Amino acid sequence: MSQQEHTAYTYLRPTKKFPNVWCAGCGIGIVMGALIRAIDKIGLPKDDVALVSGIGCTGRMPVYMDFNTIHTTHGRALAFATGLKLARPSLKVIAIMGDGDAVAIGGNHFIHAARRNIGICSIVVNNSIYGMTGGQYSPTTPIGGRATTAPYGNIEPSMPICELAIAAGAAYAARSTVYHAVELERYIEQAIRKDGFSLVEAVSYCHTTYGRLNKLGTPVDMMRQLKENSVSINAVDKLTPEEMGTKIVRGVLHNIDKPEYTAVYDQLIARVQGSQGGA
Amino acid sequence: MTDVPAAQAAATTESKPAAKKGPRGQVTVFGNWCKGCGICVAFCPTGVLALDTDDRPIVVQAEKCTACHWCDTHCPDLAIIVKKIEN
Amino acid sequence: MTVKLMQGNEAVAWGAIAAGCRFYAGYPITPSTEIAEMLSRELPKVGGKFIQMEDEIASLAACIGASVGGLKSMTATSGPGFSLMMEHVGYAAMTEVPVVVVDVQRLGPSTGQPTSASQGDVMQARWGTHGDHPIIALSPTSVTQSFDLTIKAFNYSEKYRTPVILLLDEVVGHMREKFNMPDFETVECVERIAASVPPEWYKPYGDSFSDVPPMASFGDGYRYHITGLFHDPMGYPTQRLDEIDAWIERVHRKVDRNLQDIILYEEDGLDSNQTVVVSYGASARSARHAVKLARQRRTKVGLLTLITIWPFAEDLIARIAHTAKRIVVPEMNLGQLALEVERVAGRNKVVRVNRANGEMVSPQMILEAIEGR
Repeated sequence: MSQQEHTAYTYLRPTKKFPNVWCAGCGIGIVMGALIRAIDKIGLPKDDVALVSGIGCTGRMPVYMDFNTIHTTHGRALAFATGLKLARPSLKVIAIMGDGDAVAIGGNHFIHAARRNIGICSIVVNNSIYGMTGGQYSPTTPIGGRATTAPYGNIEPSMPICELAIAAGAAYAARSTVYHAVELERYIEQAIRKDGFSLVEAVSYCHTTYGRLNKLGTPVDMMRQLKENSVSINAVDKLTPEEMGTKIVRGVLHNIDKPEYTAVYDQLIARVQGSQGGA
Repeated sequence: MTDVPAAQAAATTESKPAAKKGPRGQVTVFGNWCKGCGICVAFCPTGVLALDTDDRPIVVQAEKCTACHWCDTHCPDLAIIVKKIEN
Repeated sequence: MTVKLMQGNEAVAWGAIAAGCRFYAGYPITPSTEIAEMLSRELPKVGGKFIQMEDEIASLAACIGASVGGLKSMTATSGPGFSLMMEHVGYAAMTEVPVVVVDVQRLGPSTGQPTSASQGDVMQARWGTHGDHPIIALSPTSVTQSFDLTIKAFNYSEKYRTPVILLLDEVVGHMREKFNMPDFETVECVERIAASVPPEWYKPYGDSFSDVPPMASFGDGYRYHITGLFHDPMGYPTQRLDEIDAWIERVHRKVDRNLQDIILYEEDGLDSNQTVVVSYGASARSARHAVKLARQRRTKVGLLTLITIWPFAEDLIARIAHTAKRIVVPEMNLGQLALEVERVAGRNKVVRVNRANGEMVSPQMILEAIEGR
């Protein structure tokens, strides 16, 4: 049968072992599918795409895809990506991080990359837990949620990932969930097309650790919870605070045009070389 | 060999009857890549799929597939694809 | 060639430009800051990129990212920043990405005394990052050597696909000396071996050519995977013992089989002497003077200046230990290189001359050790 409708497979590494490493039903694989379809939609040549990831289950994503891929250290994907983007501004650099990787250990690099508005598209898969290491709480674990390092329930308020990036200077920030995979793909496409620091927060779940510790059920159950516990930004005004509760807000939260860092640096070089008398 | 009548009985979705007209799709499952999470079966809007005795999805009502692509955009393993059937 | 009065740090910056460095990411820290300031000024002039990152961890990460993107990259720091960079030194060693890390050593530990000198990071340069890994570290004793060794550092880094550490100290970094700066066109630069098979056949960590795999840059048509996990020749993560063992052997062989090329030193009167002074960095300046004074007093003494600190010149020291009655090791620390000398020559033969309070080891202290007082 023809694979024409399904070009996703042409973006997977034929030399890599499949099925992928994630648990059955994990949302990370869904984000990978959305990412591939977005890149395909835009029509980016594979050689022009670089994926830079951190450590954690989400960090395992790039190896499966046939692009320039680098799996770096915990929390530092954006720092590596900054160097790579400066060295090769024509590359489309996409950083792939989990919630802990991006805003716990990676928090500093997260806000500075956003501040610089450097042309990196960041995809943060937020499953509110440290899954790879067995279920410790993360900066986005809900208050009261149990984790292996929060046996009496987490007492820390959540880090607002999108809002943090926006406050720091990101040009684009959007949030969706792995239930809303088509919407997620659309936001990823917009984020990749954006010239500047763009962020897509892909809300997911970890049924293996957080789900089990908090009795939230199977991947199917947790997928259904994402659908029920999220609301589009357009509908927020129609809800009372009680109805809002702790619902996840989906939508494009921020989208402005501002100078991209590597372009500004190229202008600096031109200025410096110009004043040297045109070398 | 999977037990199809039992699989039909085990279908967990609330099936909507497929519209008389409209697009149709053909489902293919790559069994080697599928980990049996059940997401495709649970969320298929028309009940095309059911789990077999190995917890793997099989097509039980092929004619009901409307090529909505819910399953292949939500499969974490890229183990299911839907091809729109051209009339 | 132009004659200049130049600062050691300045010479490092010029050496980097001469070597083809076109990317610097760093964080200011005394006594290395002049290197960053100079390169922030000079790199844009040659089309290179400079960025001051938010911390030292990000600095070395950005350098590695830029190196993967094809640019020769360098960062410079001192003790506290060097400590922060350790994880990424290991990452560069594991992924075999060329990068140069300059450590202008200051008095530690901790914040220590930022404007005082030391040689206290010698062991850290070797073992600061976790796990077994080879490392190359060079230490200049003068402004001219600061220039020359920066170029050497880049060349070794590219040739062996390894991070290379340049160990200056506050004395050499901040001193000014007459320096004959060569025309950069005459400087010999080594480039990383380029991939030479069709992209579909490329194995980023294959060993079919030599122990050093050819390295393609991201964006050049070779799409491959880099990871800090143990990996197979394709770069994919592996837990197979045979693949892990193969990597360990090959990466150590990269350096161990090329000691002839990598170990640099200067010898002066080393034939069958009774006492030999083994020194490096700023201490070697005091040692040279002490040896001169000793010879004026008719004492037979030889001088070995180690320029390559790591890998340690084991065979050379073993040979010297044969005929030397005493080996004097002056250092601005409590005995770090001395540990290596003692390991090879035996503790009985080695006399340590140490100062770890920020002051240089004086020629007088070394002279007394030479004369057995």
